[in-house]
Amino acid sequence: MDLSPPAGENYAHPRICFFHVLFKAAALAFYILSALFVNSFVIIFVITVLLGALDFWVVKNVSGRILVGLRWWNEINDEGESVWRFECLDQESMARINQKDSWLFWWTLYLTAVAWIFLGIFSLIRFQADYLLVVGVCLTLSIANIVGFTRCRKDARKQLEAFATQTLASRVTSTIQSAFSVV
Amino acid sequence: MSRNPDSDTIPLHSTSQSDIDEIENLINSQPYPSSVLPARPPSPPRASIPISSSPLPPPAPPLSSSSNSTKPIPVPPAAAKLPPLPPSSNTRSNGTSNVGGSSSIAAAGFGPAPNTLTEPVWDTVKRDLSRIVSNLKLVVFPNPYREDPGKALRDWDLWGPFFFIVFLGLTLSWSASVKKSEVFAVAFALLAAGAVILTLNVLLLGGHIIFFQSLSLLGYCLFPLDVGALICMLKDNVILKVVVVCVTLAWSSWAAYPFMSTAVNPRRKALALYPVFLMYVSVGFLIIAID
Repeated sequence: MDLSPPAGENYAHPRICFFHVLFKAAALAFYILSALFVNSFVIIFVITVLLGALDFWVVKNVSGRILVGLRWWNEINDEGESVWRFECLDQESMARINQKDSWLFWWTLYLTAVAWIFLGIFSLIRFQADYLLVVGVCLTLSIANIVGFTRCRKDARKQLEAFATQTLASRVTSTIQSAFSVV
Repeated sequence: MSRNPDSDTIPLHSTSQSDIDEIENLINSQPYPSSVLPARPPSPPRASIPISSSPLPPPAPPLSSSSNSTKPIPVPPAAAKLPPLPPSSNTRSNGTSNVGGSSSIAAAGFGPAPNTLTEPVWDTVKRDLSRIVSNLKLVVFPNPYREDPGKALRDWDLWGPFFFIVFLGLTLSWSASVKKSEVFAVAFALLAAGAVILTLNVLLLGGHIIFFQSLSLLGYCLFPLDVGALICMLKDNVILKVVVVCVTLAWSSWAAYPFMSTAVNPRRKALALYPVFLMYVSVGFLIIAID
């Protein structure tokens, strides 16, 4: 992973990128700045956790789908077992995903989790258990998204390789066949 | 935007621009104020239907029998909500992505409608909201047509429980005259940790319940206590409080009973149900005792 955005193209979905970043940044900013302005812990908790939950929903249902073409969810089947589903766009569309969108998506996902970990360490040091609760909830939400999308991406890559080898094999056989038919 | 019909790819610049144009057209023309724009499916040359796992039918609404429906209801079960960490014990390795027409995973009785990857955002919002409402109706309200209760919360979601727990915490905190923050934190932590522990209790008793399904259920069963707390907040009469709390407590326990009892061995029913009842009783005491 590189540290700078890939050059040479613009964001394909600038508004979605904006919303992807908006709720994450708002939750972090509100949490950090609220200690200066707001006295009530309850308000800090409710608003931060609400922003975190909204961010979770937006990333899972909107920006994951549109920016990187991945989706994951859980189902319970007839036998009452839980099944995790991972889904991604087909190969052509995956190849056309905008690189800048994808870069932004993954980097902000990881950075948010790291930021919450830092904030958690601060509140641990200061022995503030209730702020640790807030950080804990937001961290759980971020990590859930990271885990879900990473697994989804791994499966997508596996499928891509399988598809590529399959395509290669079929092309080789069809070339051989056409060669023989000519001969 | 020109397209070479022989090539597989389209230059990204022109599609980016066309997507932006499409979104702007949508803003100018749409009647409803949604904060997140509906995501248009990518321009037509791109394949917009992902080849997803199962061509199996999507779930019917929870009240009707699910497995034989073949209508392509555009209301897939997708979007499980808040922390769905992969459960360690009962995840089968069905988590493989399903792309390129690979064979369907036939075990699941449900399948997503094929367009969930490209549906507009507003559809997702509506679908999730209707799921919350239907789960609430299913769990909490008396329903003579309810089929096997163990199967009823198939489409679990954690939004409902989240709102109910926060609402209960807020109500308790508002009613308290001192130490408001502690009350809220205690209520929230008690309910969240309590739900997790109760679920673990059922699992350790050898019961068959899915972790998130049970969390979801216990959260939804808080709804009567929410109503009770609201009433107690508005009217500060002790006798009224006791009566209201008893009624809502009974309602909550009654709502939770069928799910919990079907999940465990009949001889261990009491072992599974008693802690649930205990938790609701303690919440009831919190409501009464707050002044």
